[in-house]
Amino acid sequence: MPQSLTKIPAGMKYYLGREATLRRSIEQTALSVFAGWSYEQIVTPAVDYYALFELGMGEEAERAFRFTDSDGRLLALRPELTSTIARAVATLFSKRPRPLRLCYAAPVFRQQPPSHTEWRREVTQVGCELIGRNSQAADLEVLLVASEFLRNLDLSGTFVITLNDLEIFNGIAADLNLYSKLRHELRELIDLRNAADLETFLAPFDPHGRVREFTQLLQLSGKREIFEKARRVITNPRSTLALANLESLWITIEELGLYEYFDVDLADISRLDYYTGLTFKIYVEGVGVRIGGGGRYDSLIGNFGMAEPAVGFVVEVDPLAELLRNDRHLTQEDKVEIVEVGTRDLSAVFGDAMESRVRGKQIVINFSEETTCLS
Amino acid sequence: MSKLTIAIAKGRLQAEAVQLLSDAGLSLSPADLASRRLTTEDQSGQYRFIFVKPSDVPVYVEHGNVDCGIVGRDVLLESEASLLQPLVFTIGKCRIVVAAPHGWSNNGGGLLRVATKYPRIAANYFGSRGQPVEIITLSGSVELAPALGLADCIVDLVETGLTLRENGLTVFEVIADSSARLVFNRASYQLKASAVRELIIALAARSTRQAQNYD
Repeated sequence: MPQSLTKIPAGMKYYLGREATLRRSIEQTALSVFAGWSYEQIVTPAVDYYALFELGMGEEAERAFRFTDSDGRLLALRPELTSTIARAVATLFSKRPRPLRLCYAAPVFRQQPPSHTEWRREVTQVGCELIGRNSQAADLEVLLVASEFLRNLDLSGTFVITLNDLEIFNGIAADLNLYSKLRHELRELIDLRNAADLETFLAPFDPHGRVREFTQLLQLSGKREIFEKARRVITNPRSTLALANLESLWITIEELGLYEYFDVDLADISRLDYYTGLTFKIYVEGVGVRIGGGGRYDSLIGNFGMAEPAVGFVVEVDPLAELLRNDRHLTQEDKVEIVEVGTRDLSAVFGDAMESRVRGKQIVINFSEETTCLS
Repeated sequence: MSKLTIAIAKGRLQAEAVQLLSDAGLSLSPADLASRRLTTEDQSGQYRFIFVKPSDVPVYVEHGNVDCGIVGRDVLLESEASLLQPLVFTIGKCRIVVAAPHGWSNNGGGLLRVATKYPRIAANYFGSRGQPVEIITLSGSVELAPALGLADCIVDLVETGLTLRENGLTVFEVIADSSARLVFNRASYQLKASAVRELIIALAARSTRQAQNYD
């Protein structure tokens, strides 16, 4: 075989045996939690128009694998599922009663910059979307689904979900009247927690001490005490409202006894362009990058017709599979019954085999030398 | 509290970084520093240090095998790693510049040949100005390239400017100012929040920002 066919393209991988089982088991854990909260499974096309992803993801869509359709239009292998689902919701499922609860486990494809930590170009995502409700109850439902999934993987005590509301940033930024390039730069500096460069950046825009509002944002991460501190520096009405919403969400989380799984991080400004309110990210000890995240995207679906609110999240299976590969609970194998072929008649051998299968046993047919020769 | 692992860039920055840490109460024993071991702990046992090549600091930190690091901005710009950068220090100050022989003029006309150890910084800088360039990546003694006709100009780090002058080069444009930064892995920053906070507070006094901002 030519060398080019024995080599696997960068970022692609085979999975076998325990590793494959574990991945499936993580997917099943997610799907069974989703089903438990009455989310319906949705299967989306793996190929779609590039313009669809560009609309949803902004410049991150550039990482999609692209190729042209026979009519010349640009296609892409899906780099995520939310945009595709949003389109289906506004068109195919527009007559279905709301709220719609949809979930999936499916591979997505992304090209990676050479130095990036994530080398895989195909990763499996599990996620869910709750469509048609803009309420704290909907936000909370999705957060609880996410935390139940992680707890069911025995990750209690090692994961954290960080919460933020983008409207807090939007409220402060709106006053600055930045054009999009500068707004992008501002987001970047906050995202990097880069206080020194942020101050330099803001200096020309600072007639009323807004620098302080922004630089304080960077340090506002923690639990309940954050809200008290944040109220002292955040004064505009839009941000104040968002902060109050986030606080009331937090109080409910505390009342449910779930605060150990969550943190507030007001500097966590998501890069995906479609989020509008609540955003969250998921981190697990032992994985150097976030394993998932989500949030509210109330304007995405409107791009395809009917505007309606939505909230959802996604978790990547691949880093979890690597982390959990020694977890016996998820990879345990059933007891196996060995059915010997020997010199027996094949009808007797497979009669035994079928009988064991009826009892639900895992079997393995042990071929004798002779049968191998026959084939 | 969780133990933090800190990567320190060897070479130019190392002595100053170690001094900065010890001023903040994170002392390394002189014996450890003198030895050739690449990993050591501070005397309180709360921090582990590793010493690696500057360009490897962002690699270790981005992968999360190391929680944080002290490294120059020049290295960060070139690596394009996605790291949090909560503190900027006053140590390791230098500039990333475009330098060329005296009398050179970048009229933006033809294709410019640029020799550098920083191919990404150079490509981004000229790219953002819409100027077509050929980037020639070298691993050292970049100052030689214009004299030997390999390149029209160079993109390099300048501290005092002495090396440039001795090789007949002048600074024409400053691309960025650089100094050492404290960088964090994104997951460590969230998962080891209280240890992270303690380290930032300890080091903030030596940063360009005031410690009282971290109350």
